[in-house]
Amino acid sequence: MTFFTIVVRGLLRRPVRTALTLVGISIGIAAVVALVGMAWGYEKSITKQLHVIGIDLVVSNMSGGIMPKVYDESLKDKVAKLPNVAEVTSVLMQMLSIEDAPMMMVSGREWGGFTWKQLKVIDGRMPRDATEHAVVLGRLAAEVLKKKVGDTVEIETKELPVVGIVDGQAVVENGAIILALPVFQEITENQGKVNFVDIRVTPNTTKDEINVLCDRIKGIFPAGRAMIAREVVGSSQGFRIARAMSWSTSILAIVVGILGVANTMLMTVFERTHEIGILLAVGWKRRRIVSMVLCESALLGLLGGVTGVALGAVGLKVLETTPFVHGLLEPDLSAELLFVSVAIAVAVGIVSGLYPAWRSSRLGPSLALHA
Amino acid sequence: MAHDFPTAMTQHFSDSYRDASKDCVFAAAELKKDFDDGQVQALRGVDFRIMQGEFVAIIGPSGCGKTTLLQMLGALDRPSQGTLFYRGGALGALRDPAEYRAREIGIIFQAFHLLPTFTALENVQIPMFETKRSASERAARSVELLMAVGLGHRLHHLPSKLSGGERQRVAIARSLANGPSVLLADEPTGNLDSENAELILSLIIRLHREQNMTLVLVTHDLTIAQRASRTIQMKDGRIASDRKSPPHYKRRLT
Repeated sequence: MTFFTIVVRGLLRRPVRTALTLVGISIGIAAVVALVGMAWGYEKSITKQLHVIGIDLVVSNMSGGIMPKVYDESLKDKVAKLPNVAEVTSVLMQMLSIEDAPMMMVSGREWGGFTWKQLKVIDGRMPRDATEHAVVLGRLAAEVLKKKVGDTVEIETKELPVVGIVDGQAVVENGAIILALPVFQEITENQGKVNFVDIRVTPNTTKDEINVLCDRIKGIFPAGRAMIAREVVGSSQGFRIARAMSWSTSILAIVVGILGVANTMLMTVFERTHEIGILLAVGWKRRRIVSMVLCESALLGLLGGVTGVALGAVGLKVLETTPFVHGLLEPDLSAELLFVSVAIAVAVGIVSGLYPAWRSSRLGPSLALHA
Repeated sequence: MAHDFPTAMTQHFSDSYRDASKDCVFAAAELKKDFDDGQVQALRGVDFRIMQGEFVAIIGPSGCGKTTLLQMLGALDRPSQGTLFYRGGALGALRDPAEYRAREIGIIFQAFHLLPTFTALENVQIPMFETKRSASERAARSVELLMAVGLGHRLHHLPSKLSGGERQRVAIARSLANGPSVLLADEPTGNLDSENAELILSLIIRLHREQNMTLVLVTHDLTIAQRASRTIQMKDGRIASDRKSPPHYKRRLT
């Protein structure tokens, strides 16, 4: 028998109560995994999209919300003249409710721009030219909308034929509805307006040169700014809100978890007053009793964390298939998130055990034996 | 039994109480214990010495303070006033008497006080966690102790599956876990039928004799007390009489 045996035996003493407490922690940790996994997943998906298309810099006015504000498309030509700029293309992107899907990314792309290039046609064809009233659907978007080539899609009351299904190699691309910029501008009554100018810089451009370029763009376009692709997500207010919301909900779940475990451990200590008295009477140091209580509660946290992470991972996989999430983001189930979640659970266990452990250390052998 | 007892707190007591001669196990000086803010006076000033190898029976009616006195000896509680010396050191000066409880003494209670979710073998190992013994050494020693008290066939039984006599034998094995030199027993046969009581009592007395353990036994049963080498009778928190048994006592044991 080792000290760990004693700790485990303490938890098995009341199996139902231990199990219920575990369910409590698991749900809390599952919520953390699901919410934070969604927030992180969203960020990663966008970053991956920019990488796949090969966008180095994005010019936009990100202050608004999830989607930046529109501005005049003439900015593109001004940016194109700057040094170190290899290619420029403009995009009008909106999050719209399309038919049964609550939120889909609709991307109007400048005809001939490099954002079309990485799209591979799986079925049908690309639009014929900049003026054809037609869309292509990303692979996942077609799945979510249950559309095939020849069907129509309703965007802002306009019916547009689906002429092709494409693979864009990133979940955000595959979840998008893509059409020519002028057509989308017309449908959304944003003539002459875009909200992204995507830039590819010339090869071998240094970091300093990129920073200079960003400053010059800021000079031309004071309302917005140019951002290095991988920083786009972090600086968006919409993402920040999403992140804050996922964490604040998680913290609530964690607090509830702490209260649950603390209650269980306190009950355990009260219930075992007599046994703690015996342990003290046969020579156990208070320190050992305290560490027994803390280890029990940390073990509760660890077990709850592991089951919670499993539950959260399954939950995320289920969420991934819902129309709301499918094609919009790829939930993040990285080792980092799983590790952080289990660590949080263990911390919850230890914090919850502090007060009960302190209470146990206040017991004296003679009083406890009389109890 | 090398123990470094702090002596600072004992300085103001007269040296006569601090009998550090190696034969003096306990020395009590004006020992008092109150409960409930002085409303209950369990001990009202008790003085005695207990020497190495003695078998002292503490007798008296319930409420006379005999169990309280035993708890003082076991450092399960602190006296309200007065000092109790163990081999020349004041027990009250120990910051945490855990070490003393673990190594120097073994305690046996009337209600056995075994841990209900641990087997006999595991219960005996509990005190050994305060020593440097490895898990396998703990288990091996526990088996040895349980065999010695005749429970080799009950190692993996929970206390609830054992008879009263068997439980008390587990408790005795546990009290011996770390090889103490003093055995404290509080009505050890109080919850047992006469047959088992005799068995347990003989076992305790045998330990006392074979291992020269100092034995302090609290009881209200005069026939048990007659088997002791010395009887301290208590009344209302004071010692009413303290006498050595007649010389024929040793013969009675055999």
